[in-house]
Amino acid sequence: MVKKQTKNENSSKLLARAAEVWNERALGFITEMNLQIERSALDGVQLRMPYNPEFCVDEEGTMLHGGILTALLDSAFGLANFLAVEDLESMATIDLRVEYLGPAQSRADILVFTECYRQTQHVAFNSGRIWFDTNGQPEVARAMGTFSVTRGTNSLLDKLNTMGPGQ
Amino acid sequence: MTLDKLQAQCDRVPFFRFLGFEITDVDDDCIHARMEQSARHVGNPVLKAYHGGITASFMEAIASTAVSHNWEILRPKPINLTVDYLRPALAGTLFVRADISKKGRRMSSIETVAWQKDPAKPVAKGLFHFLLV
Repeated sequence: MVKKQTKNENSSKLLARAAEVWNERALGFITEMNLQIERSALDGVQLRMPYNPEFCVDEEGTMLHGGILTALLDSAFGLANFLAVEDLESMATIDLRVEYLGPAQSRADILVFTECYRQTQHVAFNSGRIWFDTNGQPEVARAMGTFSVTRGTNSLLDKLNTMGPGQ
Repeated sequence: MTLDKLQAQCDRVPFFRFLGFEITDVDDDCIHARMEQSARHVGNPVLKAYHGGITASFMEAIASTAVSHNWEILRPKPINLTVDYLRPALAGTLFVRADISKKGRRMSSIETVAWQKDPAKPVAKGLFHFLLV
C-alpha cells in the first residue's frame, strides 16, 4: 500500500510529476527549446529556457527573435492548462496576442511565467510574461492566449494519479 | 531588392535558418514563402503537427521580411502581434503570404496568412505591427 499523504502534499507532488512528464514526453520543437520547469502549480507555471544562439536574429547572437518568445509562451500556456484544467483531454490554441515590450537583447536565460486565470467548460484563458534572468532586466513580453479545451474521462492527470512509484 | 538578395539577407539570420524557409515571390506590397516540415518544427508528435509557435514564427519572419524589403530596415522592431489559429498545421509544406496593409511614417501593419494544400483553407492568420523609427 502506498503511504497515505495529505491532499496538498499529494497534489503538489502530482503536479510537479505531471509537469515533468509533460516536458519529458515532448519531442520536436519543445526539445529544441530545452525547457526546465521551475514552478508547477494550479495557479501558474514558470519555465526556464537557456540561451540558444540559433534563436537569435544576429550572427553575434545578442538578440532573440520575437517568434521564439511567442513559441515559448504558447508552450508555457499549454503546460499551465495541462495542470489547471480539470479532466483535460485535449486543447487547441484559438489565438495568441503578444506585446514585445523591448528588445530581447541578452545572453541570459529566459524565464516565462504563465497562468490559466479562468476556465469555462470549453475555453481556457491564459496570461503570461517573459523576462531575462538578470538583475534589473525589465519584462520583454506580455501575452494573452485563449484555448479551446475538451474535457473527458481520459485525462492525463488521472492516468498519472493511478500510477504507482517507478511506473 | 531582388528575390535572391532578400533570400541572402534572410539566410544571415540564425533563427530564419533554424526555420528553414524559402522566399518564393516578392513584389512591393506582398511576399510569399514556403517551408518544408522538419522534425524540429513538430509540436504534436501524434499528429506530426507544427508547433503553434513555429507557425507564428514563420509568419512573423515573413512579415518582418516584408518590412525590411519596403523600408530597407535590416531588423524591423516588432511592437505586437495577434495570431488566429484556424486549422491544425499538419505534416507537409507550409506556405505564408504577408501583405502590407498600412504604410505609415512611424509604423506599419502587416497581415499574414498561412496555409498548406489549399489557400482557401488557411491554418492561421496573423496581424503584426512594426515600428519603423
